[in-house]
Amino acid sequence: MIDEATELERTLEALLFLSPDPVAAEALADAAEAELHEVVTGLERLREHLEFERRGLVLRELAGGWVLSSHPEAEPAARRLFARPRTPPLTAAQAETLAIVAYLQPVSRPEIARIRGVNAESAAALLLERGMIEEAGRSQFGAVLYRTTDLFLRLFGLASLQDLPDPSAFDPSPELEEELRERLLRAGEARAGGPQAPDEAPPGA
Amino acid sequence: MSAPSPPLRLVDLELDLDVFAGPFDLLLTLILREEIDLLEVDLADIVISYIDHLESRGELDLEAATEFLVLIASLLELKSRLMLPGEELEELELDPGEAAAELLERLLAAHRYREAAQHLRERLAEQAGYRFRSVPLPAFLRRAALPAARAVYAPERLAEALGELLTFPPAVDVGHIPVSKVTVAERLTHLRALLRRGAFSFDEAVARADRVTVAVTLFALLELYKQGELSWTQEEPFGHIQVHSPAAESRLERAG
Repeated sequence: MIDEATELERTLEALLFLSPDPVAAEALADAAEAELHEVVTGLERLREHLEFERRGLVLRELAGGWVLSSHPEAEPAARRLFARPRTPPLTAAQAETLAIVAYLQPVSRPEIARIRGVNAESAAALLLERGMIEEAGRSQFGAVLYRTTDLFLRLFGLASLQDLPDPSAFDPSPELEEELRERLLRAGEARAGGPQAPDEAPPGA
Repeated sequence: MSAPSPPLRLVDLELDLDVFAGPFDLLLTLILREEIDLLEVDLADIVISYIDHLESRGELDLEAATEFLVLIASLLELKSRLMLPGEELEELELDPGEAAAELLERLLAAHRYREAAQHLRERLAEQAGYRFRSVPLPAFLRRAALPAARAVYAPERLAEALGELLTFPPAVDVGHIPVSKVTVAERLTHLRALLRRGAFSFDEAVARADRVTVAVTLFALLELYKQGELSWTQEEPFGHIQVHSPAAESRLERAG
C-alpha cells in the first residue's frame, strides 16, 4: 500500500499538469523550493502512485525532463475526441536515415548515403521538416552535419540518447555474417574466373 | 555526336606524338575505345601540332577551331579526372580479398542500421498512445526566471549599439566640389562680344575670372574654333594666346 501523497508530490503534480514540455528536475526543485533529491524521490513516488492507482495519466522521463502524458489505454477515445496523431509512421528510408543519425551523430549526409548505399537527401529533408533531426555545424569537408533533437527523444519515448539500445544488438547473427562472407567470396572467385572456382549451386534462399 | 556529320574538318590534322602517329580523329577513336591510355597522351603536343597546322594553312576556319577547342577541352577534362584519385579507381586498386572485406564491412553496417531503423519504427508506433498537452502556457502564467538568466553581454554594449544609431553622422564636406556658376553658353556670348570688337588676348577674356571660369572659357574657345568663328595664335607654350577672327588671319597671311 502506498501512503497518501505528500505536499511536495501534490505540488509537483500541479506543476507537471501545467507544463506542456518536459521540465528538468532542477527546475522543479527551484519552483517547489525543495532539495533536488527530495524532488527526484517525489517524482518517483508520483509515478508509482499514478501507476498503482491505474490513473489515466502517466508520468514519464523524456528528453532530459519530466512530463505528464495520457495513458495509451485512453488513445482510442482520444482519437475520437481529438485529431488523429500528429506523427505518421516513418518510411523505411526515413527510419534508416534517422537510425544512422541517432547512433553516429553528428553525421553528414554523404556519410549516411555511404552507409545506406543510396542517396539520403529526401529522407533527411523530411526528418528535418518534422523536427526529428537538426543541423549541427559542418564537417571538415564542408558537409552539413546532423544530430537528433529533443523532439526525437520525446517522440521515441527516450529520456536521453543513452536509452537507445546498444547498436551491436542489431548486428547480424554470426551465422548470417558467415553466410554473407561466403557468398561474397564465391562471387569474387566466379568473377576472377579462376579454375579453383567451386562448381556448385549458389546458396539457396 | 550521333548526327551523320559532314566530313570532319580536323581530319587533316596529322599528329606525331610519342604514343601515337596518325590523324587526330583516329587518336580520338582509340582513346574512346580505351586502346590508347589517355594518361600517356601529351595533350600539349596536340595543341602545338594544331597551332602549327593552322599556321601552315594561313587561315583560321572558325568552325574547325571551335570543334577543336571542344574536343581538346573534353580530353583535358577526361584526363584530369583520370589523374585525380577517385573513389572508383581506389576500389579497382584493392585486391579482391580487401575488396570483399570492405564490401562485407559495408553490408554489415547497412544491416545493422536497417535493423536499428526497424527498432525505431516499432518504438515510434508504441509511443503513439501517449499524448501530451499541446498548448503552451498562457502568457499570464508564464514567468521568465530572471535569477536563472545569466548575463552574456554587458548592458553598455546595447546602449553603445543604440547610441551609434541615434547620433547624426557628421555632415559630409562638399567644399571641394566646385559649384558651377558659369555655363559654356555664357562664355560663348562673352567671346563673341569680344570678337566683334576685333582681336583680343585670352588673358583679357578671362581677366579676374576664377579657375572654373577660365576652364569653361577655354571650352567655349575650342567650340568657336570648331565652328570656324575664330582662330588663334600662340608664339610659344604657355605664352599669350591671341584670338582673332579667321578673316583677320587670312588678312595677316596676305600681308606676310
